[in-house]
Amino acid sequence: MNARPIVATFVGVVFFLPLYLVLVNIFKPSAAVVADPAGLPFPPTFDNLAAVLNRPDHLFTFGLINSIAVTALSVTVLTIFSAMLGHYLARSRHWGAKVAMGTLLCGLMIPVPVIMAPITTVLKWFDLMTTLQGLVLVNVGYYVPFGVLLFTGFVKSVPLELEEAAALDGANRFRVFWQVVFPLLRPASASVTIFLGVWIWNDFLTPLIVLGPDSGTTVTVGVYRAIGQYQSDFGSVFAFMFLATLPILIFYLALQKNFVKGLTGGAVKG
Amino acid sequence: MTQTMRPPARVKARPAPPRRRSGRFLPGLGRFALFALPGLVAYALFVLVPIGMTAYNSLTNLNPFNPPTRFVGLRNYVSLLGDTEFRQALVNTIIVTAIITVLANVGGLLIAMLLDRPTRLYVLLRGVFFTPVVLSSVVISVIWQAILTDDGLLNSALRGLGVDEPPGWLSDPGLALYSIAWIMTWQMLGFCVVVYLAGLQGVPRELNEAASIDGAGALQRFRNVTWPMLAPALTINVVMLLITGFKAYDQVRVITNGGPGNGTTVTMAFQVVQTAFVSNRIGYSSALAAVMLAIVAFISVVVLRFLQKREVSQ
Amino acid sequence: MRRTLIFGLAAVLAAAGCGVGETTQPESGAAASGGKVELSFLVFETPNLDAAFWDAAIARASAKVPEVTIKKLVTPNIDRTAYAKQLDAAGNLPDILQSVNPAGFAQAGKLAPFTDEELKNFIAPKAGAIGGKVYQLPYNTQVIPVVYYNKDLFAKAGITAPPTTYQELLDISKKLKDGGTTPFVVGGGGADTWADMYPLTGTVATDVYKKTPDWLLQRAQGKVKFTDPDFVAAAKKIEDLAKNEYIDPAGLSRSYADTEQAFRDGKGAMYPMGSWFATSADANKPSFEVGAFPWPTDDGSPVTPTFTGGGTLVSATAKNVELAKKWALAFDEDKENNDAFVRKDGSIPAIKGYTPPADMGPVYNATVEIYTKGMADGSIFDAFSQEAGDGALPPGLADKAALGVQDLITGKKNAQQFAEFLDDEYAKATQ
Repeated sequence: MNARPIVATFVGVVFFLPLYLVLVNIFKPSAAVVADPAGLPFPPTFDNLAAVLNRPDHLFTFGLINSIAVTALSVTVLTIFSAMLGHYLARSRHWGAKVAMGTLLCGLMIPVPVIMAPITTVLKWFDLMTTLQGLVLVNVGYYVPFGVLLFTGFVKSVPLELEEAAALDGANRFRVFWQVVFPLLRPASASVTIFLGVWIWNDFLTPLIVLGPDSGTTVTVGVYRAIGQYQSDFGSVFAFMFLATLPILIFYLALQKNFVKGLTGGAVKG
Repeated sequence: MTQTMRPPARVKARPAPPRRRSGRFLPGLGRFALFALPGLVAYALFVLVPIGMTAYNSLTNLNPFNPPTRFVGLRNYVSLLGDTEFRQALVNTIIVTAIITVLANVGGLLIAMLLDRPTRLYVLLRGVFFTPVVLSSVVISVIWQAILTDDGLLNSALRGLGVDEPPGWLSDPGLALYSIAWIMTWQMLGFCVVVYLAGLQGVPRELNEAASIDGAGALQRFRNVTWPMLAPALTINVVMLLITGFKAYDQVRVITNGGPGNGTTVTMAFQVVQTAFVSNRIGYSSALAAVMLAIVAFISVVVLRFLQKREVSQ
Repeated sequence: MRRTLIFGLAAVLAAAGCGVGETTQPESGAAASGGKVELSFLVFETPNLDAAFWDAAIARASAKVPEVTIKKLVTPNIDRTAYAKQLDAAGNLPDILQSVNPAGFAQAGKLAPFTDEELKNFIAPKAGAIGGKVYQLPYNTQVIPVVYYNKDLFAKAGITAPPTTYQELLDISKKLKDGGTTPFVVGGGGADTWADMYPLTGTVATDVYKKTPDWLLQRAQGKVKFTDPDFVAAAKKIEDLAKNEYIDPAGLSRSYADTEQAFRDGKGAMYPMGSWFATSADANKPSFEVGAFPWPTDDGSPVTPTFTGGGTLVSATAKNVELAKKWALAFDEDKENNDAFVRKDGSIPAIKGYTPPADMGPVYNATVEIYTKGMADGSIFDAFSQEAGDGALPPGLADKAALGVQDLITGKKNAQQFAEFLDDEYAKATQ
């Protein structure tokens, strides 16, 4: 039994090594990165981080604003849409609901690149290319199956009687859902928010194509550009990657307690 | 498919609502429009319609740089049958998906059992394992590329340990695909750990104790008590890993660009994109995409059916 | 918990609101503001051509064409042609583009051709012509490949002079190999598969193009095939170099930047690369002296494979095509811009009357000397897989060729199989 903490720590350290390499090299001048990539950064330099923040083209700061806007809007709309749709499909016994659910699940497995070109055609119909709204809508359409998957799983753990009681009291469906059901789905909402937040934040191809270079980029697109620009200057690349990841990492840490419960929903009692 | 996450025990426990009631809770047109329509319309516009266009394009020779576009019937599908690169991409995708599904599940379960203690150390370690899940695939690819190239950190370390000719993790055509699969496993491992941990915490202590009193060994207890209770966690993990495996694109794009050599690490998603955007053959790439979707849908249905049956029979 | 969640959500929404306001500029605002035309210009960033470089170069051109303001767009990675295609597929082709391969775009009528009058200052005004029209300003020449070598490692192996015939190159390689030095550094890892092409570009020039300069045009017309003996012989040379372990397959995991670093670290003695390496070697000197020689022929006669073109292009649907062309010419003909390209990217400008700065380093001067000599003895040929215009490979084939070369180097394909593979891919790409 005493071996457990040692084994666990050892496995954790080995697993963490690649991330350690990123962390230490952020704080080294590039000469030291090449000479001694694995060593600790003494004395540490903050030049790499400062360089990212003070770029004359504001690649990071502008990208950050865009990323926050896109992610927050997409996730909010997604949570609302998929909670309602998930609830509706979970409660409905109509055969159509099963068909809809099956169709949605197939959408989970489609890689974005495969349908990217037609997506731009659809956006052009509505004159939404190169707009933030267009990008948010694409995100909503593409990720709604995942939200629905989590919410249907969770809705089934909410007693039907509760909704019926509220409905008998005369509240309308909409209010019953938002005032009674939705608060009970909070863990699922947390999971949806985290997962889709992470995916949308990290998404590269969709913002690259839909926003286009005109309307600015997201931080993740910025990471690509940083890689092209700095190439083997790992200190700079890693610094950009670190700063681009930090917001979403903090976001996860803030919500982590809730998210497993929601993910496993009624299936695993976490 | 519709009931992936349904907890069977609870479903049984709840008496079927009388017909009258279900009538009231069934879709009225107004409620459908209010609750279901927004999500469905977004999905239809940005997933179903594009799939439809892809299907239509697959019957043409569409190449925006080589007009005119003609209707060619099933010709793309016929040439696809003899396309060895497509076959290789399919095999590669299945290999990668299978490896990450098995490795991340087994590893994730073992680590979850190791970390299934409430003290601070284990909570911290949980965070360590989960971090890669939050990182973008591109970031992870860059990190691992720096580690796995021939003069990379891993081989420097191996040389330091006296290995004269360490393997070419990314340059050896026989290894590169497995390296990619390994990187994706590393990325997804933490997800499995966290889900299994939640599952483990849902196993009632009394059950294990009872089994223990009955004289069951650790292995037996795991097989008969813990593992069946983890069925829903397994379903979730497998679904997520299938999604990840079938979508494999970023890692290939950044780390090997499909090489070394022709087709070595090309996945289906990668091939579709290359055919469309490098060779400009949108018609043919649409046929590839259509076949890919069919295969992916088929595999997903089979696997999900199997897992659900397993959940229900527990 | 609920309250914090709601508060957090409100905060991000507020942030999002600001973000939207700041970042979505109305499309209409892009055109004519204060009598000026705003044109978008797609550039790419590399360690040498960084943001500051582009900004300065753009400012110099805009000073000459004051009616134009430029909105700089940056590609997400060095593969600007792929990105231009994606943008075009999304209906967003920028007005002006830098160094994008015009193949396909031009035939589909997406680019504006330059007139003879507009091209009067260029040394090779017809370079890269497609159907007789020039869509990309032929602003510079690159010699591809030049074999750069490590003079220290040569001296250590007792090699006194660079080779003049292919046999001498093989002898030198053997000497180096016997002395424990890898003769060639060849890259091609990660997304930079193209970086493995340079030895083959050399052998195709010496073994195929020397005899038949318009070979690739004949290939397009179906008169020759890759499986013809000449081309197979050129590929066989690469197969043999790899078989004799003169090329280290470790290179197949090295990105372009890592490949250059490997040469700098002395991991191999010879580095067949485009002439742009010259300024990198001058600006950031390795610990050894770098020499340069052209890829040698069997009989020692000169062959200088080059690519001329690579400049700026203008979209046929630019907001104002005439102004866009005027600006593109100003950008490519500007003396200071060319000086900057010379200093940063080792370019050999192909503009009449242009002379590079006097203080260029020895490796650049040695490279230019190879080119000037080639011009003098009429030994200029195309550089295989780099061609643009009518004689170019069909879209996607250069990438396939680079993947094929990886197979050639690892021994998965022999020369004959490699040639068959290229014929197959050629048929697929043109069907």
